[in-house]
Amino acid sequence: MLSLTIAVLVISTISGGLAALLVLAERFIANYGECQITINGEKTLAAEGGRSLLETLASQKIFIPSACGGRGTCALCKVKVLEGGGPVAPTELPLLSADERAANVRISCQVKVRNDIAIDIPPELFSVREYRGVVERIRDLTHDMKELGIRLVEPSEISFTAGQYVQLVAPEYKGSPEPVYRAYSVSSPPSRKDAIELIIRLVPGGICTTWVFNHLKRGDEVRLNGPYGQFGLTESDAEMIWIAGGSGMAPFWSIARDMAEKGVESKCTYFFGALTQKDLFLVDEFRELERKMPGFKFIPALSEPGEGGKWDGETGLITDVVGRHVEQGTVAEAYLCGSGGMIKAACKVLEAKGIPEERMFFDEFT
Amino acid sequence: MGTDRRPLSEIIDADFAEVTRLGTTHEALALELGRVLDAAVAAMGAAVTLGANRTARYRDAMGRMPCPFGGCGVFPKGEVELSDPDTGETIRFTPLSVHMVAEHGFYQGRGSPYRLDPAALVRLLATG
Repeated sequence: MLSLTIAVLVISTISGGLAALLVLAERFIANYGECQITINGEKTLAAEGGRSLLETLASQKIFIPSACGGRGTCALCKVKVLEGGGPVAPTELPLLSADERAANVRISCQVKVRNDIAIDIPPELFSVREYRGVVERIRDLTHDMKELGIRLVEPSEISFTAGQYVQLVAPEYKGSPEPVYRAYSVSSPPSRKDAIELIIRLVPGGICTTWVFNHLKRGDEVRLNGPYGQFGLTESDAEMIWIAGGSGMAPFWSIARDMAEKGVESKCTYFFGALTQKDLFLVDEFRELERKMPGFKFIPALSEPGEGGKWDGETGLITDVVGRHVEQGTVAEAYLCGSGGMIKAACKVLEAKGIPEERMFFDEFT
Repeated sequence: MGTDRRPLSEIIDADFAEVTRLGTTHEALALELGRVLDAAVAAMGAAVTLGANRTARYRDAMGRMPCPFGGCGVFPKGEVELSDPDTGETIRFTPLSVHMVAEHGFYQGRGSPYRLDPAALVRLLATG
């Protein structure tokens, strides 16, 4: 018994000593002191060194997009580092192309701030904020699609342009041990500043979508940050072709309502692809927009119309439908939102019709 | 890894032995999986019939998945469901699955929703 007590005391003393050593080491050796972060050659921040660039910027309320919470897997948090930042880490290499490496693009969650650093970031990131909100509505759009309405609490208003997205935080829950961020296009029009809507499709096994479909309730508090992204209409009044499928509807629902509110009269044809009738949604709402905007046409198309009753609308792959409707030599801008495969196929069709690559704009599911 | 309690090396060795016993290789299986993936992606969510009475359907999803083995980059999310309509046998795989079979000989652990049992794979791909 005495020898056991002595053993416990010895081990505790050694453990305590090692812990104290670690604290001292962190205080005096790993203490990088205050570091200056120069952003876009204009703004300078002072921050304690030692954390990742992503975390350091977030602590200064500058939010770089990240879906993986800084684990170095999503490759969204790319930042151009002009000075400082140290050598490219092995964890960054597979996430950067040769061109990006040559241009000093880095994965900011893998860059440790140890000394002064100069970076370039898109200026729109200065408008990104972190928000607390409350779920005020959860509406079923289809069997696997929900619309979330979130009232903003702090800050209570958001400014964004139609086509941008936010990152919704799915908190830890049973089966998901830590919070994750997922990007969703804002589907409400920018005119509504105190609340936003999101369209979310259930992805089997998906962390965030499982939380939304199985756990989230009206009245629950949520966190999100944004707005991000550069997808949106150009300033021109050119004729437009929109192509989307599934949850790719979201940015166009925002853009279309924004256009209606502003009285935009440009000619616009929106091709929306779905599998069967039960996968269609917001059809009545878009028919209403057709009445409000004479130049706007909504063309839903089903690739498997045989299921779910009589359908007398367009059928086939959405790219085939676009091919049938868009005339050769059409002068237009094309806006596409969906998977890489759909976008690639649609671009081929549009290019064959004479629409050049520089007049095609994507919001790709990557 | 699913619910598989075996060490990674044991899973890889066991699947390699099975693939060899079936008279094929990781590369051959990955090539066929890649062809199914390409055909399903091109169909944009619609079911596509392939060769020897198989159907494949691709469901896209936003985001990318890194290779867990490290150093191989990221792969689009999204999955293919490949089925034999006669027997109902079905497997699900992702672009990352194809990469892991080709480059790492890893078919995922038992209990993973994307576990590719080599024998089932050979039956559904009608190779070997």
